[in-house]
Amino acid sequence: MPLPPRDFSTIGPREGTRFPDIRLPDQRGATVDLHSARRDRKALVVFYRSADW
Amino acid sequence: MQPRLEAEGVALFALSYDPVAVLRSFADKHGITFPLLSDEGSHVIRRLGLINERVQEDHAAYGIKPDPRHSNLPYPGVFVLDESGVIVGKRFHESYRERDTGAALLAQTLSILETRPGSTAGAPGHPIQVSAWLDSPTYSFFQRMHLNTELRMPPGFRVCAPPAPDGTVPLTVHVSEIPGVEIGAVQWPAAQPGRVPGLDGLISVHSGTIRGLVPLTFAAPPGGGDLTVELTVGFQCCSDSERLPPSSVGLSLGIKELAMVDRTLPSRQSA
Repeated sequence: MPLPPRDFSTIGPREGTRFPDIRLPDQRGATVDLHSARRDRKALVVFYRSADW
Repeated sequence: MQPRLEAEGVALFALSYDPVAVLRSFADKHGITFPLLSDEGSHVIRRLGLINERVQEDHAAYGIKPDPRHSNLPYPGVFVLDESGVIVGKRFHESYRERDTGAALLAQTLSILETRPGSTAGAPGHPIQVSAWLDSPTYSFFQRMHLNTELRMPPGFRVCAPPAPDGTVPLTVHVSEIPGVEIGAVQWPAAQPGRVPGLDGLISVHSGTIRGLVPLTFAAPPGGGDLTVELTVGFQCCSDSERLPPSSVGLSLGIKELAMVDRTLPSRQSA
């Protein structure tokens, strides 16, 4: 049997809060500070499974 | 779609646990210029509380063998941030069953900002307008989305909700069979009690503008090509004084297959 669906409002950072600061390398190996790279723009931050499989 | 996002002043970031080299080749292959962030080791995914702890359990439930790649995966989804970095939207999904690949997720995410192409029709002799559209203009293997159906009724008009009493025809959406596509049951908002001319008492009706959702799961193997979703919306409309004959409206929506790179997907022995 599939598991029951989850309530995603309680998983991860909540709506109405500032998205956490994250610094990670991008595909060129350059470190990206997400909030700096936004440059005061709106943003979409997508979490996905893998680019590899 | 990325230039469109940039034109709207929206920055796009995608994050996975892939090493930089994997992301580089993926970006080169697909011409991706926005940042693909490499969270090798899933440290950020874990810090944000987005590790999908249930994926292996869920796979076991579906008869899928354990796979080390399934450890430390995030739930697939997207955060929408405003100009000050505050989260103003959040759309997450349980697992691959609903959301397959990064590319598919991106396509659907970006479609949030797209004007949804759809189809609208009226019924001869009826004041009701029926529209339909799909959540995304593209699909990929094992993607799930909704077919949206909207009825706009002018003030003073209503339609009978299911189950309708004898002598009336309830609101229905029939989607023609599509090979490889699982079509779920339509969900309508709650109906309200209302009067129908010629019937005693109150019966369940809808009025104003209502939207029904039909879940679609694209379960055929990749290579299904572009598809057409054909639907028929049946209803019986009435005003305070008149009950109109039953009517139906047919609509047709195209959806394109999102070409996937070579990828193997977990086999699914039962669902």
